[in-house]
Amino acid sequence: MAKRCSTYAVLAGFLLVGTAGVSQAAASMDELEKSTADKAFAAAAKGKPNPAWKGQTFTIATLAAGPRGAISGPLYFWKPYFEKLTGATYRVVEIAFGDMQAKIETDFASGAGQYDAVVGGQFMMGDYVANDWIIPIDKYLNDPSYPKMDLDSIAPAYKALDRWGDHWYAFNNDHDGMILYYRRDLFNDKKWQDQFQAKYKYALPNPPKTWQQLLDVASFFNSVEWNGPGKEHQGISLHLKVGEQGFFDFLSIAAPYVVSTPGGNPKKVTRFHNVFWFDPTDMKPLVNTAPFVKALETEIALYKAGSSAQLSWALGEAWNAFLGGQAAMCYSFGDVTPLAESAANSVIKGKVAASPTPGSTEVWDFQSKKWVKASGANLVGNVDGASWSGVISRKAKNPDLVAYFLAWQGTPEINHWNTTWGFTGINPGTKYDFFAPFGTAKVEDYVNAGYDRQDAIDYVNAYQKQDFEYPLQLPYLRIPGTPAYLESLDVHISEALSGHVSAQEALNRIASDWDEITDRLGRDKQVKFYREAIGYTGG
Amino acid sequence: MTDRDGIRRLGGVPAPSDRLKDVVASAILVLAAVWVLFPFYWAAITSLKEPVDVFRLSFVPWVQFTPTLSNWRSELFYRGSAIFGGLGNSFLIGLGACLVAMTLGTLAGYGLARFRYRGWRNRDISLYFLSQRFLPPAATILPFFYFAQRLDLLDTRIILIAANATFTMPFAVLLMRDAFQGIPIEMEEAARVDGASSLQILLRISLPLTAPTLVAAGIISFAFTWNEFLFAFVLSYSRAVPMSVLIAGTQDVMGVQFWYVSTRLLLAILPPAIVILIVQRYIVTGLTLGAVKG
Amino acid sequence: MSTTLEARGSEGDGAGGTSRRRSYHLHAWSFTAPGVVWVFAFTIFPLAHTLYLSLQSTGLGGNRFVGLRNFVRLWRDYRFWSALRLTLTFVAVSVVVTVVVGTVLALAVNRGVRGTRVFRTLSILPMFAAPIALGYLGLTIFYQQGGPINNVLAAVGLRPVPWLSDGRWALVSILAVDVWQWTPFVFLVVLAALQNVPAELLEAARIETSSSWPVLTRITFPLIRGPLGTVIILRIVEAFKVFDIPFTLTNGGPGLATRSLTYDVYTTGLRNQNFGYAASIAVVMLVLVMVVAIVFYRSYGSTYE
Repeated sequence: MAKRCSTYAVLAGFLLVGTAGVSQAAASMDELEKSTADKAFAAAAKGKPNPAWKGQTFTIATLAAGPRGAISGPLYFWKPYFEKLTGATYRVVEIAFGDMQAKIETDFASGAGQYDAVVGGQFMMGDYVANDWIIPIDKYLNDPSYPKMDLDSIAPAYKALDRWGDHWYAFNNDHDGMILYYRRDLFNDKKWQDQFQAKYKYALPNPPKTWQQLLDVASFFNSVEWNGPGKEHQGISLHLKVGEQGFFDFLSIAAPYVVSTPGGNPKKVTRFHNVFWFDPTDMKPLVNTAPFVKALETEIALYKAGSSAQLSWALGEAWNAFLGGQAAMCYSFGDVTPLAESAANSVIKGKVAASPTPGSTEVWDFQSKKWVKASGANLVGNVDGASWSGVISRKAKNPDLVAYFLAWQGTPEINHWNTTWGFTGINPGTKYDFFAPFGTAKVEDYVNAGYDRQDAIDYVNAYQKQDFEYPLQLPYLRIPGTPAYLESLDVHISEALSGHVSAQEALNRIASDWDEITDRLGRDKQVKFYREAIGYTGG
Repeated sequence: MTDRDGIRRLGGVPAPSDRLKDVVASAILVLAAVWVLFPFYWAAITSLKEPVDVFRLSFVPWVQFTPTLSNWRSELFYRGSAIFGGLGNSFLIGLGACLVAMTLGTLAGYGLARFRYRGWRNRDISLYFLSQRFLPPAATILPFFYFAQRLDLLDTRIILIAANATFTMPFAVLLMRDAFQGIPIEMEEAARVDGASSLQILLRISLPLTAPTLVAAGIISFAFTWNEFLFAFVLSYSRAVPMSVLIAGTQDVMGVQFWYVSTRLLLAILPPAIVILIVQRYIVTGLTLGAVKG
Repeated sequence: MSTTLEARGSEGDGAGGTSRRRSYHLHAWSFTAPGVVWVFAFTIFPLAHTLYLSLQSTGLGGNRFVGLRNFVRLWRDYRFWSALRLTLTFVAVSVVVTVVVGTVLALAVNRGVRGTRVFRTLSILPMFAAPIALGYLGLTIFYQQGGPINNVLAAVGLRPVPWLSDGRWALVSILAVDVWQWTPFVFLVVLAALQNVPAELLEAARIETSSSWPVLTRITFPLIRGPLGTVIILRIVEAFKVFDIPFTLTNGGPGLATRSLTYDVYTTGLRNQNFGYAASIAVVMLVLVMVVAIVFYRSYGSTYE
């Protein structure tokens, strides 16, 4: 007891000293942040706010990450600007990731109407629309009194997420996807290049273009002491902990084995092409077919090319293995490079290269049930993650005000500002986030925010290629019951990785769970929703 | 004279074999103390580490890592309103549950101590209350959620007070029953002869005599409510979120922010720790619901 | 010495007796009724609803009655058996370890060496630390690479343990947290019981024999059997409910390795919105607990006369 009292006294004494020191360093960065934000605010479209909105308030539910954390951060940050703009304000309610489904559904289903808007994950879209819990926003998109978002510049995959069927439901905000990060310095080092060539009989791919290559590279770096004698030298770092979005890794690996183009119109969704989750004719799960098994076996091999602790790593720990210099590569969401650029979080600033998701040299043909060699590599992009975007509850008391705010956040200037400042957790996904000649962004935007120049270029280009140049995309699952389907996937993949069951058995278990969920919810209804979600019209 | 173990010590000089046992006992004690305190120490230093330091091993501040107060600042100033809101909710819910449980429990305890029931015997009633502690919360969480939704009681402190009052009522009933049984009935005789009602006797005579147990039971009820998680987690999501759930809120899309968990753990453990230390004499009796006299 | 008021007139003495008896019982029940009704409203009634839910299947349009189908599925569901196995293993190991360690500690402390009072006070703290916070804290303590435990192990030349990434070790991790938290409970109860053992009895025994083992087994243990039994049963029912620790430390993983029954109910019912099936798991839990409860009532019910 006494020990604790004196500890607190000492702590209190240091409070003053600590406060002074830390605030010094932060000062100049804060100024830059504020001045660029002011500029973005001035330039952004403002539409015409309704003067009747003065003094009103609404409630936004979002991810729990605090005032300087991902997704919730920008909501806190822009509040004073919004108040100045409209005289209205809003309350931010934070929800922990694992419970977004439960809490949001609770509010919507009960009709309690505590949340006017939700900046949530797009995987819940199916439940929202199926239950008629949110309103379509088409009418706001071309109305001049609402800030105009540049819809055409949103990458097609993200645009699809904001829509359902013929309507728009979500406002442009975050664009999640997973890409590969790797240590530029290691890949450029002749010593490792020579050793790799000698061992694997081909040049060290910089960057790896297929999962097959990636496996070789990871195994290689896992086996040589590139980090100095006696130090950790992991090949790759993956966040595989159950319940922590580890399943997205599997989806990204599986996509290039599974998703194939029908030739002709590559975007057309047919029974055998551009499908991933279920057979659109009868909702039979595809998850335990050959390409998925191959993918899971690849993932298991990849897991072995890194620390065995990966199975207990959530995002933070996995990123840390890479940011702390212990792993040569990392495959994850768009938070890695932004984190790498801050000294509080990383020791590898200036060494972080990035490349879009690897593809596969062969693809499964569902029609002929055979492997087909891809010309070059079958590249499939992904929108893994949540892609946090705002939707409006049907119970919102003032939907117009809410729409105004969400549209304003989606305008090019503000959205791009959010993208360049890492704390926001908003990732690039629109033309104005990418560099010329493709887009309108400048490297200086990122450098000014503290990024190393080359790191920023690699990062942004990786997303640009994946979002706009990849011919195929992994369709996101957005049907009712998605969290239940994903939970089963997550748990059984984890079982396979931990060696509890074989890859095929794990996938069989998933398929059987999925059938049960589909039947419980109503197979006919699910078929209809699934077709709507992926845009299948027969064939 | 003999000590606890019935070992006769002559002239205060213990025999060699006894001394060895004493040494072993002391060693065990020290190890156990380290074992008990280590997590708290760990939480304290983790709360003082920068995020990147959290993943690197270091035990001693200043020697192995640079301590920072930024986590505490962030929690108390930036997130201050949420933190203090959480503490406030925990207090209100704990207090509310305690009051309800103690009121109903004291009445029931008095009844069980003073009356002989028929049909349903004293023992049956007591066990009826006791079985509350046996009940897995999983068995009632779904209906609670369902009805709270229907009755518009979700995310209210009321529903959490109701749930926690139910969980902690056994402590009140059984402890107070025990305490009342310890008061000789003769002390009430005089007032009874004078025509006072049972309730008046309870309030004016018996209750003051059992004040220590009353306080102890109340504090146990408060402390258990403070740490309750499942119901608080499921039934609250915005306004009524107590501290136990707020700790869970440190888990965001990036995984757990350990530095914040540590600050919140320390903030969260302080109130129950303080109050429990006040009534530690009654801990054993309390936690065993009267089965063991402490 | 009687502490209860007898129902006056219960010996039966004519006309006035019945109405006085009735007013006595009315009076008696007025004290316990509020509590009884409250518990009924907030326990028995919800339990009935859980039972009702367990006979439904939850689909897109709401619930529909399916009789015992959920239970049949449960019987064939390896996830349920996995959770059951895990929970029972957890209970068994946790109870054994906490009781053994707690008792040993109590015996050691009972010698009365210096510092026991401070230790007694300190030992209360773990029980009132929020389990979920402990789970999260455990993540840093059990951190496989460079966590304090593995570091100490490395320092003495042992290999690092995959605390959270291996199914069996994950179970050990959650057990470690639970044991840390609840051993003090056993310790304090057993200590109190030991201190209630009359010193004269032990003195007399020591005159017979100077070795302590027979004293321990023949005299001390039998005398503390009652409290020990109580504490064992209380520990069993508490451990059975385990949720907070796996929820925060391992998310029930890897795979399903640390998913307890309560965790299963939570995920199935409140995350996946499959209320009917979750209720059936809850019903099974209830049945299991009732078995323990009956054992308890038979053995210790008499203390509640």
